[in-house]
Amino acid sequence: MSGPSSAVPMLELRQISRQFGGLQALSEVSFQVEQGEIFGLIGPNGAGKTTLFNLLSGVTPASSGTIHWRGQAMQGLSPDRHNRLGIARTFQNLRLFTELSVLENVLVALHRQPQGSKLDALFNTQHFRRRQSELRERALQLLEELGLADQAHRQASGLAYGDRRRLEIARALATAPALLLLDEPAAGMNPRENEQLCELLAQLRQRHQLTLVVIEHHVPLLMQLCQRLAVLDFGRLIALGTPEQIQRDPRVIEAYLGGSR
Amino acid sequence: MIDNGLLVQMILGALLGLSVYLPMAAGQLSLATPAFYAVGGTLAALLSTQGGAQSAISLWSVLGEMLLAAGLTAGLALLVGLPVLRLRGIYLAIATIALVEIVRVAILNLPFTGGAAGIFGIPQPFQQPFGYVLFSGGVLAVCGWLFQRLEASRLGRSMAAIRDDELASRCMGIHTTRVKLTAFVASAVLAGITGVIAAHYLNTWNARQGSFDVAITTLAFVILGGSRNWLGPVIGGLLLTALPELLRPVGDLRLVLFGLVILLGPVFFPQGLITPALLERLGRWKP
Amino acid sequence: MIDTLLQTLLNGAASGGVYALVALGYTLIFSVLGVINFAQGALFSLGGYLTYLLLGGKIGVNGALPGWGLPIGLPLWLALLLAALGSGAVGLLVERVAFAPLRRRGAEPLLSLITSLGAGVVLVNLLQLLMGAEGYAFPQAAAGLAKLPESLLLGGARIRTIQVLLLAISALAVASLSLWLERSRSGKAMRAVAEDPTTATLLGINSVAVVRLAFLLSGMLAGLGGGLIGMSVSLAGPYFGISYGLKGLAVLVLGGLGSVPGAIVGGLVMGLAEALIPSEASGWRDALAFAILFAVLVLRPSGLLGRRQLEKV
Repeated sequence: MSGPSSAVPMLELRQISRQFGGLQALSEVSFQVEQGEIFGLIGPNGAGKTTLFNLLSGVTPASSGTIHWRGQAMQGLSPDRHNRLGIARTFQNLRLFTELSVLENVLVALHRQPQGSKLDALFNTQHFRRRQSELRERALQLLEELGLADQAHRQASGLAYGDRRRLEIARALATAPALLLLDEPAAGMNPRENEQLCELLAQLRQRHQLTLVVIEHHVPLLMQLCQRLAVLDFGRLIALGTPEQIQRDPRVIEAYLGGSR
Repeated sequence: MIDNGLLVQMILGALLGLSVYLPMAAGQLSLATPAFYAVGGTLAALLSTQGGAQSAISLWSVLGEMLLAAGLTAGLALLVGLPVLRLRGIYLAIATIALVEIVRVAILNLPFTGGAAGIFGIPQPFQQPFGYVLFSGGVLAVCGWLFQRLEASRLGRSMAAIRDDELASRCMGIHTTRVKLTAFVASAVLAGITGVIAAHYLNTWNARQGSFDVAITTLAFVILGGSRNWLGPVIGGLLLTALPELLRPVGDLRLVLFGLVILLGPVFFPQGLITPALLERLGRWKP
Repeated sequence: MIDTLLQTLLNGAASGGVYALVALGYTLIFSVLGVINFAQGALFSLGGYLTYLLLGGKIGVNGALPGWGLPIGLPLWLALLLAALGSGAVGLLVERVAFAPLRRRGAEPLLSLITSLGAGVVLVNLLQLLMGAEGYAFPQAAAGLAKLPESLLLGGARIRTIQVLLLAISALAVASLSLWLERSRSGKAMRAVAEDPTTATLLGINSVAVVRLAFLLSGMLAGLGGGLIGMSVSLAGPYFGISYGLKGLAVLVLGGLGSVPGAIVGGLVMGLAEALIPSEASGWRDALAFAILFAVLVLRPSGLLGRRQLEKV
């Protein structure tokens, strides 16, 4: 795991609220995520999980409350700024660059890596070509980790569903984040694939020094994978704790099984 | 049948097609090319007719005009682009149409631009059309090289990503506004430079050179030729400029033809003539 | 002094009314589909020509049908109505050819900007081919117009009757549309689709029908506008509609994309602003609309009354 834990949590949400017109998507949600954790986020449909990710990645601003990243408040920053600060994400409904190849999807995300100057690019110098092949190497390495290297030259739109989900992860990883937000990475997977995904995520966390926050519908997967979980219901945080604690929490059971559901 | 004069016009068409293509390559629909084309042409017309009528002008002066036009159009593009490129794509489309109109009306009404009749007697750097063919052909070749290098570069990849999914690109940390602005400014500069060449070639220049019709025509170049690769607008520009001249009856229906291309192209031939599949088969571009 | 001011204001309001019609046409389609119909200006021209023909006007020598005209001369109100319906019908055709195929394919919305632009170009140029590019003044006998006084005396000011008529008719059209949107079932259905297409479908609203209705009404508004302008000024070649179409875009941005009251207010503001430009600088009048557009985009992109649009992730 990582070195000595810092006093400041990696990510902290304080009284985060978000409304759209008359709809209250999130209400005063507060929690912390420690460095190196695998943190789960669960809740019924419409609970506000993806909205929370949108806030964390800068896609939507909060209506009130603050988000603190490594101790600094992030207020009204653009999505690209969020990424430069070290936060990367995948999307629930997949947002791959479908016209580009698998390799190109990752190459695009490596844009912060040294690529030679504009003049180098213009005159196709030795230096430029070396940098380009380094980039390709790096991209292929990432694809290898996600089991996609053999499809590197395939157009992204031609991939099987499970592979597309993994490509999104590879692409997000390429931006060298400290925090990776995964929105339903196991969607459409069978139990065996779920197992593999758990292993993969644990490996990735280790190798890339990541902190993970994972939204999942498949609750048993998160129970196995995560150290701690937060449960949202109708935009409110109704429970926070270890998998065992969550499983026994009456409010969680109520939200998932009881009432009008 | 294709004489040097037509060839020059075809090459200018190709250049304008490339100008329209650039913002599209970054996912932006901009119809501003005629405005910058008009600015470039007007600048050249004004500068070269300053000292009274002359029939000839040195190539160096023309190059100087091109440099000035590049600066002017770049500045104008920044002025327009900065506020507008932050907004959704539809606003850029509308703003660029507005820009074309403003420039056209300005050129029409400013005291020194010759009003509706325009400016006459623009001096020539070449005595024969063939000189223009070589010169504009050279400019086109340089552009081709630049575009080819663009595709292999980080900027080119970012543009392709933004075109595919702008939000995802932003979430990957790409400065999308900066990239879109770069494409927009480059497009403007290319149009301005083409305007300079055109003004000298045509010998006269007026406000109608930068009209909405030109926006339609040049857009048709890209739609027909294909907007996935820089060769598309070049082929589109060459073909659609030559066609109305070569087929007389078609010539009168020029605009109806272009309108049909724009109307039916995206529906039936979304990738135009020069598709990525075609390029792959030609084997010269990587998969 | 007061009379010229009053005259100017009335002129401004009258042309503002027409701008509002064009902008409303854009707004209807934008609010249900999220795209701009660039064929709007062409439909405007079409309306003008149809009105002219229905009033018994003859087409000119530059077209394919020189000296031709309908053997009828309808009263003004009927001509305007039928011309509007005609434009509406062509608007439906535009939807069928330029929008529907792209929507079926799930293509990018911006592409329909391009196809509708193409449709507009084809339409305008066909008009030019058939009817010629010269200007047409509406026949004076244009039922009923000859019987009205040339100008009215209002509070000490002389104003052209035609301007009053223009303002009255466009106000009537705008009011009817607003009432329809507010009260009628189909109007409410349209507002529901505009607000939230998914929920609307879940509620059983036929969004395809709503879209088509939007195009029909939008075309009718454009056609009416064209007829009114033709009546008050004259038809200056098929391209006159294009410039109204372009200015309509400026009004759309000024009022706020997707806002019906915005389109109305924006239209009036634009009309008044243009009218206030002194005649010495009249050549620049055309550029004012677009200068306003840029100012809006820089200062307040959501326009006067627009709502901020959110992106779904």
